Amino acid sequence: MAPVAQVEEWADECASVVDIEQALVGLRFRPGREDRQLRTSVLTHLAWVPVEWQAAATETLSGLAERHPSRTLLLFPQPEDDDGLAARVLLECHHLQGTERSVCNEVVELRLRGRRAEAPATIVLPLLLPDLPVFLRWRGRPDFGSPVFEQLLGVVDRLVVDSAEWPDLSESYARLATVFDRAAVSDIAWRRTLQWRRVLAAAWPERPDRLTGPPAETSLVAGWLRARAGIEVDVERADELPVGNGDRDQSDLLSEELDVFGREPVYEAAVAAAASSADRL
Amino acid sequence: MQSVETEPNPLMEGLQVRRTPEPCVLAIFGASGDLTKRKIFPALYALAMRDLLPEQFAIVGVARTEQETADFVSAMEEAVRSYARDEFRAEVWGRLAARTRYLAAEFADEEGEDRVARCLTELDGEYGTRGNRVYYLAVPPAAMPKLIEELGERRTTTGWTRLIVEKPFGRDSVTARELNELLARNFTEDEVFRIDHYLGKDTVQNLLALRFANGIFEPVWNRQFIDHVQVTVAESIGIERRSAFYEESGAIRDVFQNHLLQLVALTAMEPPIDFTAEAVRNEKLKVLKALSTPSPRSVVRGQYGPGFIEGEPVPGYREEEGVAPDSTTETFVAARLQVDNWRWADTPFYVRTGKRLPRRETTIAIQFKRVPHTLFEDTSELRPNLLIVHIQPNEGVSLAIGAKVPGEGMRVRTVHMDFLYGGAFRTGLPEAYERLILDAMLGDATLFTRADEIEEQWALVDAIVAAWRRDKPSFPNHAAGTWGPQTSEELIGWHR
Repeated sequence: MAPVAQVEEWADECASVVDIEQALVGLRFRPGREDRQLRTSVLTHLAWVPVEWQAAATETLSGLAERHPSRTLLLFPQPEDDDGLAARVLLECHHLQGTERSVCNEVVELRLRGRRAEAPATIVLPLLLPDLPVFLRWRGRPDFGSPVFEQLLGVVDRLVVDSAEWPDLSESYARLATVFDRAAVSDIAWRRTLQWRRVLAAAWPERPDRLTGPPAETSLVAGWLRARAGIEVDVERADELPVGNGDRDQSDLLSEELDVFGREPVYEAAVAAAASSADRL
Repeated sequence: MQSVETEPNPLMEGLQVRRTPEPCVLAIFGASGDLTKRKIFPALYALAMRDLLPEQFAIVGVARTEQETADFVSAMEEAVRSYARDEFRAEVWGRLAARTRYLAAEFADEEGEDRVARCLTELDGEYGTRGNRVYYLAVPPAAMPKLIEELGERRTTTGWTRLIVEKPFGRDSVTARELNELLARNFTEDEVFRIDHYLGKDTVQNLLALRFANGIFEPVWNRQFIDHVQVTVAESIGIERRSAFYEESGAIRDVFQNHLLQLVALTAMEPPIDFTAEAVRNEKLKVLKALSTPSPRSVVRGQYGPGFIEGEPVPGYREEEGVAPDSTTETFVAARLQVDNWRWADTPFYVRTGKRLPRRETTIAIQFKRVPHTLFEDTSELRPNLLIVHIQPNEGVSLAIGAKVPGEGMRVRTVHMDFLYGGAFRTGLPEAYERLILDAMLGDATLFTRADEIEEQWALVDAIVAAWRRDKPSFPNHAAGTWGPQTSEELIGWHR
């Protein structure tokens, strides 16, 4: 991974969308920059990050922007605070090998304070890159049915979750299944099971009697076996996956999901099947 | 585990996103050569890194050089460390190395070939490769015919056979046709994969994406809107100790006959009905057939003399080691080509290639016609719209458009919009050989040249070379580090 060549920053504790738009342009054309900077974007990446997920979200984001040149809008809801919108805009520029140019990614951190956290879509909409896909990464369990979730779902093409972050899998999978007709869904837990599923598929027509692994991943694989082949298996909780993913970390897994467009019927069927059995773990 | 009898495998849906070849053995003939070190093994390593090789897979390197498998594997490890685009990972290399054999054999004779065949059969037993063969012929042209015959005689009765044939493919129409006929006697056309590594480059394939995946370009991709096309394949390096080869081939056989004409064909071809090998190659062939023989005045040949590259003095071609002091081999060719069909009538394709040019650059530049009427007060800085496809380096596409200069009045000047591959897709472009070796294993010949394409390309080259024989060139006629002889610049001038 190439190092970030330069980071330009702008921040305002009381910002408006216009201020943010001006900062995004202004940072790219600051006097004194000698290299030619390109904004090459392939998507807008939204992330809804409740306070308990902030550290993990920042870590995952590291390195992601370089792989997916994008505008990332990090939404930090702070409903307990006084009303206001605080913004920090970062322009992370990576030098392109063999050229005198840098390609820049835009990261906008938005702290939605007080009632501003109730209408995030109205803040997000003017900042979306036109005509490019919008991915929403929701940290933790989505607040299915809430106005905030419904609003954001209305402006995105793809919802990216990690069901391993959820406490109540059966009910959550059932709620997630209601979303499928409105946005394509990616689940990083499902991505984590890819090698495991490959091993099981390669062994066909042999089938397992028992699956052992972390709850979310095991529930999804069990659901997949039931949905695809009508196979019922016993499940058992364990900390580790029986088949690993090499050295892929959270950033790699999220990065792979950002390459996926369109619905995944196999996943959707696995979720529907998992909804009725995930509580066994 | 219980057993369930159900077909087909219901668990595979959604998992078959990657194309993985069937089990096979890759036999590389000429394995002690530079190509194996610099391109083939680094490409295999990259494929292994991405789990794109089949589980049941083995490699056997065949060459005359006496050495043990351990020595060969060690040399290939060094090559992978030096030339692979990925970082070296011992476990990935270990998987590949464990499946690699070396056989010292005179591969163009019966005894040697018998030994190769026995080795391959052993590997079938060891790795379950089912008699499937990919033969990679990276051998000198002189060794090619006998090797093809021997391989044809020893075809496996089980499994499939694919033959990757490296260039040069003949040295004129006659020899190319003979080679094609020899291949046809021993193999079917869909078993033969003639490599032009340019076709394996992502940026070359992007030309097809640009043309046929975007609605805005194809309507203006014709003589009505395009003034002319320029295709440049420029190298700043010299002949790099390949004097024996280069003295025989020159620029016209080394690059013009294959890479340049393929780029012209991809630029000029009609939309194929689909992206299958036959459909794409049929359309390219029509372009090659439509290329008229350029008049002698429309072709410029050159040879570099001493000069400077990036400030460093470099010798002239005739001073290079192994080159005759009175050599008349061309190191530069430029031509004004004409595609005589409905779409391109009277639209010149200016092509040029050469060694020791100012920089390494492969581009396709589409220059559009100027607007028919100028509205604005000052357009002196406005150039025609130009769409440049950068094949290498700085892979991408740029479009020159006119834009108003801020402020009063209506001054218009040219600005560039750039799409850089490295900017939008941060995964790193694969090497052409990765794609081509994988495609050959998969039996997909879309990015390989067909027999009739090769023969059409040679027919054009033969006509140019025949005209050259009538006079002795005055070489050298340009300095290293310049864009060729002055007359090549004048080719475009004649058009204006």
